[in-house]
Amino acid sequence: MKTHPPISLRPLLPVLQAEVLTDHLPETIRGCYISDLLSDVLAHAEPGVLWATVQVHRNVVSVAAMKDVAAVLITCGRRPDPAILAEADEEGIALLATPLSTYEAAGKLWEAGIR
Amino acid sequence: MNPAPPVIPVARAGNARKVSVAQVLVYELRVRDAMSAPPVTAHPKTTLREIQHLMKTHRFSGVPITDDGTLLGLVSIEDIIRALDKGYINDVAEKHMTPNPVTLRDHYSLLRAVAEFDRHGFGRFPVLDTSNRLVGMITRGDITTCLMHHLEKRAEEALAHEAALLAQRAADEKAQRVVLRAPVRTGDYDSAGKISQRMRTILRERGIDPDIRRRAAVVAYEAETNIIIHSLGGEIVVTVEPERVIIEANDVGPGIENIEQAMQEGWSTAGRLPRELGFGAGMGLPNMKRCSDKFEIVSNSETGTRVRAEIHLRPAGAKPE
Repeated sequence: MKTHPPISLRPLLPVLQAEVLTDHLPETIRGCYISDLLSDVLAHAEPGVLWATVQVHRNVVSVAAMKDVAAVLITCGRRPDPAILAEADEEGIALLATPLSTYEAAGKLWEAGIR
Repeated sequence: MNPAPPVIPVARAGNARKVSVAQVLVYELRVRDAMSAPPVTAHPKTTLREIQHLMKTHRFSGVPITDDGTLLGLVSIEDIIRALDKGYINDVAEKHMTPNPVTLRDHYSLLRAVAEFDRHGFGRFPVLDTSNRLVGMITRGDITTCLMHHLEKRAEEALAHEAALLAQRAADEKAQRVVLRAPVRTGDYDSAGKISQRMRTILRERGIDPDIRRRAAVVAYEAETNIIIHSLGGEIVVTVEPERVIIEANDVGPGIENIEQAMQEGWSTAGRLPRELGFGAGMGLPNMKRCSDKFEIVSNSETGTRVRAEIHLRPAGAKPE
């Protein structure tokens, strides 16, 4: 997978109807990766991407930190435990939440030019 | 006339001029370091017979004749032989001694002392200090003994220094080697990633390339989750060395039935709960193998599964962060 040029994240938030759950928010993302399988993310996600998933378990933060993922977009209106938010802040990982399904979110990102 | 300085041979090794320790020592050491002191002396009125006994007792070949610390002459073994031969052994020393003998100063270098021995052919010299007081006697034997003694001391110092260096290096290497060891419990999904997080911190502190750090993290994380999901419990041992990190995952069972199958992407025996949490994609072992520079897995139903993965931290051509 080729590395995407950096894209500003903030303008994408209204498009995704996303709420920022953590204190931390990166300036840019370098493309997007979608998977609910942690090992798949470990195997294939590039550093700096926005990772979209329905998973809310704290391992999401561990995996994101390990792969230097920029931000995690949690879809389908799911919310992680507050303890997980603290961990994400500690690791410098941004967590975003959207009511959209992963499919809808992916469509919006594609339309926004992240391809 | 000053004696011609003796030629000190200088060994050549390649282009470097090498001066032996013995050569350095003859410059550094002084006559006072080698002489025998205090000197055994005799008075001018002492008989040659008494001096002969003095020589026999102390195994000297020459006795300085002094009066109140001032050197007046020297009686040598040759003088005694002549006295016995000519029959005046009972005469007093002052009648037959060599008056005003050639002396050395106590501050002369041994190099100069050797030159004086060569120049005069004497077996011994009385040694005077700067105020012309007799302070000792010196022979070629004294010089040799002194050099041997100092060479031995230097050799011992060199050996001690070497031993200290080796001990220091061993201590440094030990300090650079960090072993992280943690038990991993079955089903403890909340703890997954703990040990790989600690390892990542160490690797970051050591300035390891981010790509290599990520690979090591993936291996450690997959190893941890494998034990959590599939085993009856075990432990993870991460050894960080200067050049590599070794990740070992050992569990107590139940063992992998078919390793070849387990190594295939997508093949998983994980249950419903881990799958819901995003585990059990059947990519753990293949991920570990792909991210490792060395990967071994041994498993049987009696002793459990042992995985050992090695990641090189500073491969040739890798750019530091």
